[in-house]
This record gives sequence, C-alpha cells and structure tokens, in this order.
Amino acid sequence: MLGTWVGGARHARGVSFRALTRSTGESPTPDGEIVARVRAGDPQAFGVLVTRYREQFAQYASALCGDADLAADALQEAFIRAYGSLDRCRDPDNFKGWFFRILTNQCHNVRDRRREHVSLDALAIGERSVDREIDRAAIRDALDGALSALTTGQREAFVLKHMVGLSYAQIAELLDEGVDALKMRVYRARDIVKDHMSEFLES
Amino acid sequence: MKRHRPLSPDAHAHLDGIGRAPESADERRILDQLNRALSHYRQNLQVPGPEVDDRVMAVVAAPQSTHRSLWRWFFAPVDVRVRPATAFVAGVALVLVLALVVPRVLPRGPGGTDLSSQSVLVQFELRAPAAQSVSLAGSFNGWSPASIPLTRTPESDRWRVTIPLRPGEHEYLFVIDREEWVADPHAHAQVDDGFGQSNSVIMVGPRGVARL
Amino acid sequence: MRRMAVVLGILLSVTAPMHGQELDVRAELMRRGAPPDFADRVAQLVTAAHREGLPHQDIANKALEGWAKRRHVPSERVLVALEGLMGAFRAGRDAARMAGISAPPMTVISSAGLALARGMTREQIADVIHAAPTPEQAAGGLAVASSLGAQGLEHAAAVRAVNDAFRDGSPPEHMLELPSVIANLIARGVPMSDVARSILEGRGVPGGPGVGIGPPGNGVGRPPGVPPGRGPPNLNDLPGKAKGQGKNSSA
Repeated sequence: MLGTWVGGARHARGVSFRALTRSTGESPTPDGEIVARVRAGDPQAFGVLVTRYREQFAQYASALCGDADLAADALQEAFIRAYGSLDRCRDPDNFKGWFFRILTNQCHNVRDRRREHVSLDALAIGERSVDREIDRAAIRDALDGALSALTTGQREAFVLKHMVGLSYAQIAELLDEGVDALKMRVYRARDIVKDHMSEFLES
Repeated sequence: MKRHRPLSPDAHAHLDGIGRAPESADERRILDQLNRALSHYRQNLQVPGPEVDDRVMAVVAAPQSTHRSLWRWFFAPVDVRVRPATAFVAGVALVLVLALVVPRVLPRGPGGTDLSSQSVLVQFELRAPAAQSVSLAGSFNGWSPASIPLTRTPESDRWRVTIPLRPGEHEYLFVIDREEWVADPHAHAQVDDGFGQSNSVIMVGPRGVARL
Repeated sequence: MRRMAVVLGILLSVTAPMHGQELDVRAELMRRGAPPDFADRVAQLVTAAHREGLPHQDIANKALEGWAKRRHVPSERVLVALEGLMGAFRAGRDAARMAGISAPPMTVISSAGLALARGMTREQIADVIHAAPTPEQAAGGLAVASSLGAQGLEHAAAVRAVNDAFRDGSPPEHMLELPSVIANLIARGVPMSDVARSILEGRGVPGGPGVGIGPPGNGVGRPPGVPPGRGPPNLNDLPGKAKGQGKNSSA
C-alpha cells in the first residue's frame, strides 16, 4: 500500500546543491547547462527547455501532424519522454537535435493514427458560406493530403523547408545529415506534392 | 494518380530561392500556384500554444520534487565543528525534525526517478508484442502514466527500460497503450493497492534486484 | 553551527504549516485534470494527516495513484482508500508506541502501518522494533519483513530472518537483499515452507546475505540486465528512425 521506504542508515554522501544564478535578460542559458541543472535535482528547470522548443517546433509539429491539437499532443508526449530519458541524452549541448528526433517520431505516430479518422472538414465544407473559409480549408486539405503521400523522411524535409522555412544548412544540422542527400529528398518531395496537388493547382 | 513531368532543375533552383523563373510558362504557373498555396498554408497554420508547457510541467514537477534540494542539503558533507552540549540539543532536534521531514522527502530526477549516488539501476521488462506503447508508473514517479516509456527490444516482442531507483520498496505497474494497467510477472510480489486492484512490488537492495 | 541553525530554521519552517504541501497535491491533481472538489477533499485529508502527525506525503502519493488509475477506480473509492490508509498509519503508530517508541518517526509509522496491513501482528512488529538498533533501522526491518510476507514467506519466519540480520551485525542495506534472495529461491522451485523451516530452525535463509557477502555470484542473485555501477546502457534507442541517430553533435 505504501510508497517507498528509505534505507535505515543515512549515507553522508550527496551532491552539494549549487545555486545557479544567471541574470535574466541576457543571452539565454545554454541547453547543456539546463540539462545539468535538471539532472542535479531541479525539475522545474526543464520548463525552460519546454517553452524554448515548443516555440521553436510548434509550426513544424503542426504541419507534420496536420492538426494543431494533434501537434499539441505530440509535443506534450515528446517532452515527457525526453524528460524521462534525459539521463540518456548523450550530448546535452545538443538537446535540440535529440529532442527534435523524439518529437518527429511522435508526430509521425500521431499522423499514422490520424489516418483512421474520417476528415470532418470534407463533410462540413458545404456549410461554409464564406469563400475564404473554403479556400483555406481546401488548401490545407490538399497540402495535407499531399504530405501524406510522402515518406516520413521526405515529409520532414519538405515541412522544414517549405512550412517552417529553414535553409538547407539549418535543416542539415537539425537532421544531422549532409546537404546533398537532403536536397534530393526535398526535390523528390516537391515532385510528389506537385503531382498530388495537380488538380487543385490547375483549377 | 496521373504521373506528371518532374520539375526541372531550374524550377527547383527557383523554389530554393536562387535563379530566375523557369522558361516554360506551364511550369512557371505551377510554381506560382504552389508557392501561393504554401504561403497560404503557412500563414493560416494554427499552432499549439503555452498550454502545452503547463501540461508537460504538471507531469514533470510532481510535488515531491520541490524537496529535492532540501534532501541534498542534509546529506552533503558537513565539516562543521560543534561543541558537545549544543550538539546534543541541536542533534536531538535535528534527528526529530529530520525523521519528520526527510524520510518522506524523496529525491527525484527526470521522469521522477532518483539520481543520487546511492541509486541503483533496475531494469524493467514486459512481454507485450501487441502493444503500441508501454510505460512504467509507480511510487517513484508519482504514478505518472506517461513519463517513463519503455522501448521495444530488437526482437520486438518485449519492452524494456532501465531506471535508477533508491534502495527500498517500490510499487508500480506497467501501462499499456496508455490505458491498460498490468502487473509485472517478474516482481517480488503483488500487493493490494487499497483500491481493489494490485500493485507489483520490488525491494531494491544496494546491489540491485534479482527476481523471478 | 551556523549551518545547523540554518538547516533547523529551514526544516522548522518547512514542517510548520506546510501549506506548500497541501497546495502541491491539490494543484498537482488539478493539473492532471482532476475535478476541484475531489482535489479539495484530498487536500483536506492530507492536511488532517499532517496535523495528526501521520505520513501525509504517503497519503498524497496514494491520491495521485488513485487518480492515475481513475479508469478503474471511482474518486469516492480513492477517498475511502485514503481514509483507510490513515487508519493503518494510526494503528502502526499505536503498535510502535506499544513496542516502546514513544514518538515514532514517520518511517516507523509508515512501515508499521504497512506491516499491519499485510498481516503482521502487533507482537511481530514489536519483535522487529526490539531487535533493531535504531528506530530508523526498525522501519527498514518492518518493510523487509512485510515484503517477505507478501512474497509468501510466513510472517514468523520473515520476522526471524530480519531479526537475525539485525543481530548478526550485517550492514542494514543487506537486509534489503532478502526479497531478492527469496525470489531466487522461488525461481528455483524451493518451497517457501522449506525456507521458513530453515529460518525458524536457526539455519538461516539458504544463500542469504551473511553467506558470501562480497563479489557477485556468491549467494545473492545477480540482478538480470544492467548491474549497478555500470552507467546507463548504451541505448541509441529512440524508436523509429535509425538514420542520423549515431551522433548528437552539432554541425
């Protein structure tokens, strides 16, 4: 019934608690330092990473998941998993790249599960009286459908390039890859997207 | 799906933001519409907001965590010279108060698990080939159902995670697909959880755990 | 000395009203989506436990457990269980007092309550308390004895095994290995009744600590999987994509 009992003998070893202070308003605390802080016993510090990378990756997650609510779920799950495996992050200074991978996997999972659900937008579209609404929904659905036709690798690269707007160099760093292979993927993705949107584009 | 002609190298260069528009009028039109669709999509893309942060931190920062630093204070080496008489009074008060506070103050690291130098690595494994996700929830992480995920082994019918735990007894269960709570057949024992269900327990020693 | 005074100051301010604690469990439950009236009632119970000098953090943990299991456990049931837990703690505290500890520490209250809940008698609890060198170690002994009982070892033998460990001078942590030893015996098909007999006849736990304490493989089963002391496993194990996984270096 009860929780943990702590061993009888008190052991006098332990990490001395170092109060880390950093003046606010200056350059942001590096990821590696925050990870160290969390590992040293300050779970609240993780919140800095959460805000930082939710802001940076929200767009990416939304486009990759195809839906803001699903993106929120994927982000939440990814952060929780990252926190749970933080001791396995081998390069805390590159928390960003490590977390990006976790998030991407979550988004792919979310997107796969989403396919089982009927798109309600298709049903609701006839009720919309404003043309702008129809345009918005139609474009979103068309692009989203096209993205579903891509492989996961193509989708990541395409979203980062054309929805998040990163440069090839930035994407290469994030995905930990060479630019040439990356470009090939983006080019291939463009062709597939173009083909899938051909009816829409030509209308 | 009808196969269309792939985009020309010029078209790609144009989409990359370098070079001028391709020569073919058809291609220029397609690129223009594609760019506008992408730009429209980007502008109207709804994104999750700070509510995500709150939801994450609710799981991450379980109540016990706030006492971590206090715990470490007590057990950091103290090289203080204390005179006998005052030591007795302070010592007694300290022991009494420590006994009240400290044993119930459980240090936790990421995922709610313990990171102190006394912790011992314990592996948890569950055979669940049909599961989509498996996580570990227990007394060591405030029973958070999602914060300690297991990973599928290469043979893919088993799931595993290794976490540091303090010596002592721990109650826990596995959570399959975020909704099914199952016992650990390799636990030391199963005990009543007080809610009419059972929890698995293990007693972690200074050198780890051996079990069935 | 100054540090002691500072520490005492911190401790006393922490232990005094502990409003932070009550707010914590209530806030935590609400953050996890619990309805406010449930969170309020839990907070009231935790406060009451604290005022009574019972292990209120255990109550809080139990509430979190109950909420996490809400698919199968209605909130009323959770509240009933919390009250039951408080009752167990009160009984544990009584048992400890009867055994001669006038102001039992929280660990003892908690372990004694657990022991009673798992079927040990007050006499058996007193037995362990008397054999232990300090109340803290008594708490440990009670926890181990209840664990052994839950594994199927009869309580009399569990108590004897724990008391023997106290008396033969082995370090307190070694007692924590007894359940692992028992688990090994169970795995090898040794009947618990044989183990109980061995203990009660003074021959100790077969292969238990005290026999071959030291390098692995000497009596105490080595844990499967990662042995302690060897850092985290080399897990390059984020599920899904394999490419780009090898390095986490910034380009």
